[in-house]
Amino acid sequence: MVAFANILVGGVFHAAVLFLVAAGLQLVFGVQKIVNLACGSFYALGAYFGVSFIGYVSAAGLSPWLMMPGLVVAGVLVGFVGPPIERLLRSVYTRDESFQLLLTFALVLMFQDVFRFVWGPNPRSLDSAYLIYGVINAREFSVPVYNLLVIAVAIATAAGFGAFLQRTNYGRILRATAENRGMAEALGVDVRRLYAVVFTLGTALGTTAGALVVPTAAASLDMAIDFVIEAFAVVVIGGLGSMRGALAGALIVGLIRAYAIVLYPEAEVLAIYIIVIAVLLLRPAGLFGRQAT
Amino acid sequence: MTRSPPALVALTGAICLAMLPLLAPSYYVSLMIPFFGYAIALLGFNLLFGYTGLLSFGHAMFLGFGAYGAAVLAGTFGIKSFEIVLLAVMLSAAFAAFPIGLVCVRYVGIFFGMLTLAFGMLFYSFLFKFYHLTGGDSGMRVPRMNVLGLEMAQYNKIEFLAGPFYYYCLALLIIAAVVMWRIVHSPFGLHLKAARDNPRKAEYLGVHVHRFRLAAFVISAAYGAAGGAILGFRIGLADPELVYWTQSGQLVFMAVLGGFSNFFGPIIGAFAFTLLQDQLQSLTQYWRFILGAVLAAVVIGFPDGLAGFANGLGRRNPGKMP
Amino acid sequence: MTVLLETKGVSKCYGALRALEDVSIVVRPEEVVSVVGPNGAGKTTLVNLLTGLLTPTSGEVLFMGDNIAGIGPVRLAERGLVRSFQLIQIFPQLTVAETIAAAVVSRQKKRWRLFASLRSDQAIAQRVAEVAEIFGLTDRLAIPAATLSQGEKKLLDVASAFALDPRIILLDEPTSGVSTAEKHGIMRTLIAAGKRAGVQSILLVEHDMDLVAAYSQRIVALLEGRVRADLPPDQFFSDPQLIESVIGKRTG
Repeated sequence: MVAFANILVGGVFHAAVLFLVAAGLQLVFGVQKIVNLACGSFYALGAYFGVSFIGYVSAAGLSPWLMMPGLVVAGVLVGFVGPPIERLLRSVYTRDESFQLLLTFALVLMFQDVFRFVWGPNPRSLDSAYLIYGVINAREFSVPVYNLLVIAVAIATAAGFGAFLQRTNYGRILRATAENRGMAEALGVDVRRLYAVVFTLGTALGTTAGALVVPTAAASLDMAIDFVIEAFAVVVIGGLGSMRGALAGALIVGLIRAYAIVLYPEAEVLAIYIIVIAVLLLRPAGLFGRQAT
Repeated sequence: MTRSPPALVALTGAICLAMLPLLAPSYYVSLMIPFFGYAIALLGFNLLFGYTGLLSFGHAMFLGFGAYGAAVLAGTFGIKSFEIVLLAVMLSAAFAAFPIGLVCVRYVGIFFGMLTLAFGMLFYSFLFKFYHLTGGDSGMRVPRMNVLGLEMAQYNKIEFLAGPFYYYCLALLIIAAVVMWRIVHSPFGLHLKAARDNPRKAEYLGVHVHRFRLAAFVISAAYGAAGGAILGFRIGLADPELVYWTQSGQLVFMAVLGGFSNFFGPIIGAFAFTLLQDQLQSLTQYWRFILGAVLAAVVIGFPDGLAGFANGLGRRNPGKMP
Repeated sequence: MTVLLETKGVSKCYGALRALEDVSIVVRPEEVVSVVGPNGAGKTTLVNLLTGLLTPTSGEVLFMGDNIAGIGPVRLAERGLVRSFQLIQIFPQLTVAETIAAAVVSRQKKRWRLFASLRSDQAIAQRVAEVAEIFGLTDRLAIPAATLSQGEKKLLDVASAFALDPRIILLDEPTSGVSTAEKHGIMRTLIAAGKRAGVQSILLVEHDMDLVAAYSQRIVALLEGRVRADLPPDQFFSDPQLIESVIGKRTG
């Protein structure tokens, strides 16, 4: 079926982007137990910055073929808002989780006006320059090669993360700290520095995802607020703190969304949220998470 | 000594509010109507947050119940009496809160927050899905209703809002506050606080932790709907944006700003927020940034909020529950 | 003689781990029974079974003849079995009076009174004052529970449980974390309070053998999930092998 293949590819593309953000969220939650309502804002920040960055380097003569790596660079660069924000969040680590949610909510509000100030109230987008990578036109579907490249990036990130967490020393230290902070500290881990690194990593994943998505979607003020919903759906469905969960959740949400957009447009958010509630009721730990009540 | 300060605060507040229409220009007075709506909604919210320890990120849903309920009852069904509408939306919100609460109160902390966020956004998406009923994006009109059986046609909207309706809402707030005060200082309220402080020990002392959390959830929903009906009446419109998750966040903001450990905190928070937002909006287009900064400052530096700050100034008291 | 609380051949397994095996104990009226044993012997599991938190894999847990497996702490409290905790459990934001009042509200079945004033309820206030007086907390009533000393917090923990007018109270290491000087005082207060409050029996889980020797009518020793002995103190302490297996080579 023509429609089905298109939906599948569209869904997987969206899932790829979602995965990148969710991986960041899971990392931060798994290690630091922070639920970051500003994840959508980081995403939007990456998108906006991506637009400006590419605009700037294109004007300076960069080859259009380098657009994708350029976007990745933009995303990673702006991910360095991570450390100062993490310092801010440090003041509420030891307090009740409500304060954490509130502080990240405060960031959401502040970021909205930062976007308005720097980039104005209207959506910003790149032109169709990304089509330089070509479009694959098969009988059942057509997909820009760019989208496939992004999916590849997501897969590479997933594999890289898996290897990093399981096979490297630092990855082990990270997992140990996530499991038991006190113990890790007693064993000599510089937890504060670890937290700063983890948070920056998580932020960079979010901003890079935003940068990568911007050729196909515009950077807008609504993006920051709307995206939080989807990101949380992914994390809840997959299970808080689990990387595999991020992957599974992203695929489920991405595909549902793609399916809903084509067949039942008004039911898009509805479908996702019914699944979120069902998961929270039947298996609150999500598909791959650890039990927590 | 323990009884007079809250009563004094309440009396002073009520008197100041009563005198406002006589002293301030109509613009500010009509600004106060949303304050009354939010204050009532927040009294309910804080029963759940401050007194039961559950942070809901979907509370705006119940305000939506109130506004849309008013639109449906007054608009579609032509019910003219605001009292009947008020009662009806409160009951229906309580009714709807029962199954939702049954599901949500099994969890605490982040999970409770996420579940309530999910339900809130579910309601939001319902409003869009059933757009032929709810007007989708454009919302539903809330026509003017009669208060205390009087049509008050001789007043135009601004006069009505700054005059009779203002005092009507003030009276509603006072009634809502008195009722909530009694609830919070009752045996029921004590069990809620025990469930909040140490659910495990509370169970061993015979506290039905889950049932009581559900009860608090239902009561807070009714209060939320009452506030929402007032908001809907004031704006003349029931708008889906009222239900978006950031509105729920705003409610939490108000509660924390005022101080959720204090009975009057939420009311103070609603007042401060309404005033602050209005003043900031006329000052700069980047008012959200400043509000965000204020929230951050409160969370980091003044977790007891304005009420806690005032308490600290008044006497050496950690500002805990009265 | 009637039996208040008993377990009949109770076993509890967690997968391959047998936490308890064929444990049968009884608690009769007017008794103080101590349960002792090294860590890992199954005392915690037994306590959780007796307080309705767990269901036994086999066997029965009966209170006043009724099966109470897994009925949960709230319903158990209503029937008259309460417990105190090893780690001090308080309500951080409540005062001493409010802590005790919470239990009194449950006992007097006033929990659903939404609009009654707690402060002006004489029946509650009177009972709170009574219980506080038994435990020597009268001048602490208006004080936030969080600011009490460790010993006072322990007393409060038990006092609030007593306020439920239970028939049996299960004291889970009531003197742990309390200074040696205060231990005997606390135990004496608890036992005396129990008598005054009309508690019929006490089940005591303890490590401190001095206290166990001084205050129990019977000692039940658990070892690796089984009942090793069920004897009055004089018989228990005249068996050196028994003592050693229970407390190891501990001194003091």
